Order: sequence, then structure tokens, then C-alpha cells
Amino acid sequence: MMPSTILIVDDSATILMSMEAILHKAGFTVAKAACGEEAVTKLQGGLKPNMIITDIHMPGMSGIDLIRKVRTMSGFQFIPILVVTTESQQAKRDEARAAKATGWLVKPVQPDDLLKVVKQILPNG
Amino acid sequence: MTRDTISLIRIGAVATAVAASTAAAAAAFGDVAAGLAALGSLAVGYGLGRKDGALPGAVRLLMFRVADELAQYRAFTKLLRDQGERITESTSGAATAIVTGLTQMDADVDRLRDLVGDAEALRSLVDAVSAPVIEMLGQIQFQDVTQQQIAFLSRLSLIVDEHMIDLARQLGDRRAMDRVGNFKEMFNKALDDCVMTSQREDHHAAAGLDMQEAGGPKIEMF
Repeated sequence: MMPSTILIVDDSATILMSMEAILHKAGFTVAKAACGEEAVTKLQGGLKPNMIITDIHMPGMSGIDLIRKVRTMSGFQFIPILVVTTESQQAKRDEARAAKATGWLVKPVQPDDLLKVVKQILPNG
Repeated sequence: MTRDTISLIRIGAVATAVAASTAAAAAAFGDVAAGLAALGSLAVGYGLGRKDGALPGAVRLLMFRVADELAQYRAFTKLLRDQGERITESTSGAATAIVTGLTQMDADVDRLRDLVGDAEALRSLVDAVSAPVIEMLGQIQFQDVTQQQIAFLSRLSLIVDEHMIDLARQLGDRRAMDRVGNFKEMFNKALDDCVMTSQREDHHAAAGLDMQEAGGPKIEMF
């Protein structure tokens, strides 16, 4: 069986690299984007991830805007989208929920916690 | 003779002349004309006082000094922001190098595990080396958290900065913007050798351990 592909969207090179290493080690294929616009371009260019993990505060398109945009794109209305951010305010969480995010994790997130949530969403790996 | 003394002599001379003309007017035209002349002298005296008087000069000096200090405070806030940027740059470079190294190490350990084969002691040693790598990759997120905390402080400092520019403008200062660079250079020189190594290496507080999560749980599925 083909491993699931996860698209990570974050403007921090550290987060992109560390999450890629953690998810790759757990058997997932990882695609990366350094901003919302790049993620949209990759999705429009034919990338078909099984899940998206996105930050909230990014230059240009924010994570919330990215979720809203992805939800309007054909074939991605129901793709699981996890928010991983340093933001913990309830108002922002509500905004993400309203934009139809799947879940919310606060950085720094422990690798075990991340993998537990990812495997809960993608049980077949 | 100082400028303020000259001003006072000039005011005195004008006031004497106006007072003499007031007395003459009283004699010639009566009380109404004298009253008008007195009002006129008051206006002239007030005008001179506003322009050349000793008190406004002191006030102007004080205002200049306050504006000058505001420019120095602005240099301080700029210095703090620049230091923040340096911290972000250096930790970002270090974190990237650490992640690259850990990832490579993990891949090498996996290759080693394949080579070890059935040698039980070696295999458990390889596992022991490999075990903390993923945990360390998780910990390295402190850099992103720190970067955002510094960005937050930098924005707060910019708000204070804008407020100080406003205050300086209200005090009539138009030079505050130009002077900040010089002050900043001066502070840089003064503080260059006083940053302790322990401060550079202390990332404990930045590791996210003391972050308050009052807004909600760390993990929430919608």
C-alpha cells in the first residue's frame, strides 16, 4: 500500500525540516510549502496529499485563509487539515473551526502527540 | 551679556515707553483712552514675552531636552529590535544545522542497524543511539516559538516607538528621526562587550516550557 502524503505548510524552515523528519520516520511521504500561496500552487499543480498540516501566522496568506481557499478547491473540500501553531487563543481556534479545520495543536508539539493525531486521522498510514 | 538679559532689557524699555504714553494719553483724553492704552501695552508686552521672554526660552530648552531623550529611547528600542533579529537569525541557522545533522544521523543509524544483523548487543546499542533522535527533532521547535515571541516583542516596541515619534513631533522636534542612528551606534559600542555567554546559551525559557496555554488545550480535535 502506498504511504499517505502529508503537505506541511510553515514559514519556519526549522518546523518544516523537523516535522518532515518525524513524519518521514513514521512512514509518511511529506511535501512542503513555505507559505500559503506555495501550498495552493502545489495543490493546483496536481499534488494530492491525504492531509495538510498548516501554521496560522505566515507572511502573505494566513493559515486560516489557506484553509478557506482549500475548502473551495475541487477535490479538497474534505481533506483533513490540522493547524499546528503557537497561537492558543480561543477566538483564533473558533475562526479555524469555522473555516472547517480538522484539529488544532499548539507548538511546541511533541512528536508522539503529533503522530497520535495524524494516525487518528489517517489510520492506514 | 546673555540673550535672555538683552530680551529683558528690551521688554523693560518698551514697557517704560508704553507706560509714559499711557500717562500722557490719560492727561489728554481721559480714562477711556488711558484704559485702551493700558490694554495696548499689555498686548505688546505679552507679544514680546512670547517671542523673546526668558521663561519661554527655558521651556523651549526643556522641550528640546525631552525630544532629545525621546530620540535616545527610540535608539534603545531599535537596538532591542535589531538584537532580536540577530537572535532569530542565529538560532534559525543553528536549528537548521541541528535538524539536518539529526536527520542524517538517524538515516546512518538505520543503515547501521541493517549492517549489524543479528548481533544482539550491537543492535541494542544502535537502538539506544536512535531512540532520542525523534524526541530531539520535536524539541528543536523551540526556535520557531522563540522567533515568534521575539517578533511579538518587536511589534510592541514599534508601537512604543511610534508613540515617541508622535510626542517628539508635538514638542516641535523634527530631527528625532535623523539622530536615532547615531545614538544606536553609540549604544552598540557601549554594550558590545557586556553580553554574557550564559545569556547567549540560555535557551531554557525559550523552550516553550513556560508558555501559558490559558486559551485552550494543547490538542483539540474539532
